[in-house]
Amino acid sequence: MTLLKLERITKRFGGLIAVNEFDLEIREGESIGIVGPNGSGKTTLYNVISGVYTPEEGRVFFEGQEITFLPPYRRAHLGLGRTFQISRPFGSATVRENVAVGALFGTLHGRIGVDEALEMADRYIELVGLSELKDKVAGSLTPVEKKLMEVARALAMRPKLLLMDEAMAGMHPKDIDRLVGLLKEIKEEEKIAIVAMVEHIMRAVVGFAERVVVMHFGRKLVDAPTAEALKDPKVVEVYLGRPLEEG
Amino acid sequence: MIWNQLAGNLTQGLILGGVYGMATMGLSLIFGVLRVVNVGHGAFIMVGAFAALWLFTALGITPIVAIPIALIIGIALGFVFFYLVMKKLVGAPELTSLLATFAMGILLEEVVKLIFGTEYRGYNWDVGRVDLSVTVLPWAKIYAFLGSVAIAVLLYLWFNKTRAGTAVRSVVEDSEGARVCGVNVGWVYALSFAIGIGLTVASGVLLTMFIPVGINPYMGGPYTLKAFVIAVLGGLASPYGAFFGGLIFGLIENGSYTLFALLPGAEPFALTRFLSFVILLVILLIKPTGLLGAK
Amino acid sequence: MRLVKYYPLIPVYLGYLVLFLIGKTLPGMWQLMAMLSFYCAVGQAFNIFLGMTGYVDFGYVAFMALGTYGMALSIAHLYQIEWLGIGIIVIGFVLAILMSGLLSVAVGAVALRLRGAYFAIATIGVNEGFRYLIEGAKLWGGSEGIIFSKQLTEAFGRGVANKLSTFWADVFVLFIAAIAALVTLCFIRGKIGYALTALREDEEAAKVMGINVTKYKIIAFITSASFAGLIGATAWALKLTHVFPPEVFEISYTVECIIIVLLGGAGTLLGPIVGGLIYGLSKYWLTVIVPGFQLLIFAPIIILIIVAFPEGVVGMFKRRVRGTSLEKFVI
Repeated sequence: MTLLKLERITKRFGGLIAVNEFDLEIREGESIGIVGPNGSGKTTLYNVISGVYTPEEGRVFFEGQEITFLPPYRRAHLGLGRTFQISRPFGSATVRENVAVGALFGTLHGRIGVDEALEMADRYIELVGLSELKDKVAGSLTPVEKKLMEVARALAMRPKLLLMDEAMAGMHPKDIDRLVGLLKEIKEEEKIAIVAMVEHIMRAVVGFAERVVVMHFGRKLVDAPTAEALKDPKVVEVYLGRPLEEG
Repeated sequence: MIWNQLAGNLTQGLILGGVYGMATMGLSLIFGVLRVVNVGHGAFIMVGAFAALWLFTALGITPIVAIPIALIIGIALGFVFFYLVMKKLVGAPELTSLLATFAMGILLEEVVKLIFGTEYRGYNWDVGRVDLSVTVLPWAKIYAFLGSVAIAVLLYLWFNKTRAGTAVRSVVEDSEGARVCGVNVGWVYALSFAIGIGLTVASGVLLTMFIPVGINPYMGGPYTLKAFVIAVLGGLASPYGAFFGGLIFGLIENGSYTLFALLPGAEPFALTRFLSFVILLVILLIKPTGLLGAK
Repeated sequence: MRLVKYYPLIPVYLGYLVLFLIGKTLPGMWQLMAMLSFYCAVGQAFNIFLGMTGYVDFGYVAFMALGTYGMALSIAHLYQIEWLGIGIIVIGFVLAILMSGLLSVAVGAVALRLRGAYFAIATIGVNEGFRYLIEGAKLWGGSEGIIFSKQLTEAFGRGVANKLSTFWADVFVLFIAAIAALVTLCFIRGKIGYALTALREDEEAAKVMGINVTKYKIIAFITSASFAGLIGATAWALKLTHVFPPEVFEISYTVECIIIVLLGGAGTLLGPIVGGLIYGLSKYWLTVIVPGFQLLIFAPIIILIIVAFPEGVVGMFKRRVRGTSLEKFVI
């Protein structure tokens, strides 16, 4: 079942074309890696999907329903979750309260009360391994802890599709492995489609993504299963600047 | 008959509008560069008005000469406020800088009250008038208008022809980019704030050339509202928009006064104030970036 | 409904009770008590919006003004209807909420879609705009306002009318403050509190998390405005038996609300009370020592608080008691 469909999305800022006639389809439970150097349009793409931006051309569909002009909060209710490149915790609230926000206003909104939300928050906090910190004020966490909290918060929304924005940038390889393991676990249990966005094809993507989409100056360069994508000469050229020599 | 009166009022409105517009340029500059709304705007205009008053009555300095003096006083005041208060609020939420400028305005009003008391004062600088058949214009008002235009032109030249001005423009476009290019963004903030305040204080002098009476510590309030309407009309971040917004506003204010005066049982002065508020809300609703602003 | 949730209200209600008792028993203290309760009440009401959303409504006093008109209009026009009795006062309060509520809906619909700075600008206009509408269109007495002491006496007889203005008016303020405190706690603890905290901290992130920020801003706005209307109806209309546009639209009241909430601690339950008490007492003391210059002293204090102590007294206290048993009470 197609969860998310992007049809020829084009997003311009004045004269600059950030995303150029981009097509994408994501199915339930898939794990995708979106790869591309800085400036390739990844964050803009995420912003179009989550509703922060409206595209100049093209359409966005979620579970068959068009959402191109739907406000961000409604998309969250439909099942679109998201984390941010630079963590955006609600600084003066505790970790528990932060994650509870996700539970309260995600796909269960209107059907869940504060106490239940706090209980749910506890479960997801445990899942990401932050249980000791759950009553700490979010603003006082380390960057890595904030990232993990954001993941818990997004998960508490019980999304069907989770967009992760450069979640692993600047993280210690050990932490990346931990996060990747976590994502795989979540994928298995919750059947969420996860899209992770990274700057380079690295251990994170290889360990986690079934499929890789490579972006280059706003266009889709490659969209293939991971193993194939790694060997694609276009991808190599983009990263090394010249075609691989034969032999 | 009524058309004559309307034409006369509109002319007056246009001239006054120029002064209003110039008074708002400082507000727009500060918002454009620092993204801070100077809620104490009117109080700074009041400072300029008192400066004109004192320079004239105590030192015999004509208002025209008072203009550059007020500009300098304003710039100095701006630097002081920036380094004492605004600088520390750079990363803070919008609420705090709004409240800070608000409190600065109050502080100014109270200090002026302490020095000058609360009575209404005025001065008389009569340099003759000009008869334009539809209306009679005192030269003082014409000088005020010319002064406003002159300052607007000077600002334009400064923005586009000097290094400092160009630096300011670059920060408005893209502060990160400017920083990367070596622009000292902190200094640009301070300079812009100071110049914005300077413009506002100088406009107080020009305003008294137009209305040389009713000068008191609390006179600033109505001008703050007018300035906001004008700034929003012209596009909150654009000083030039502010100038033209001022012209439009002057026309509307005076034109509507004439029309409201025709309504029986109405109080035209109060109604024009109400009208400006309605205009403000309508514009904010439809096109917050202003009639003349960018999309 | 677990009662433990309401423990934080205990110090609040105790405080109000003490205030009332001091005013009633010690000679000459009633007026001071009335002033302090007024400041606590407006602080509590204003906090529901400013404290919880982080948006500044510079035109807040307009809601108090409208509430005053609501009560004034009820008394001035209905005083001859004998069978209404105390109903006139009740209708006055109802009118007060309706009028201030309606204005807040009108203003909110336009202004709350806007981001912080634009919102502040829109609200500055409300105050001036509405006042000039009343004066310009000669609405409700125009610039002369309404004086209704005679009507009040005719409706209730001299004795009762007097008691209403000098005793009940101030007691009502305390009741309103108490209700506002309850509502504040319910907001803080409830779903709306989470939404408001999120949108105050990071409005864009809140939207992406599924929060309809405009809806919650409006709820807080209307609630805050309604309480302001109630306060105006009793502390101004009932107590002073007149309403006069320049008085009721006086921006200095908004300034005082801002000081009280910031000083005490924005977004907290106890903040406005602490702020109201400190501000009220300081103002009283300053009026005796340096009359006419209170604002001169308070203006730099606001700046100091903004720059150095943005969390206010209760905010700082909250941090200290975190992890101790006092935490339950300091909200």
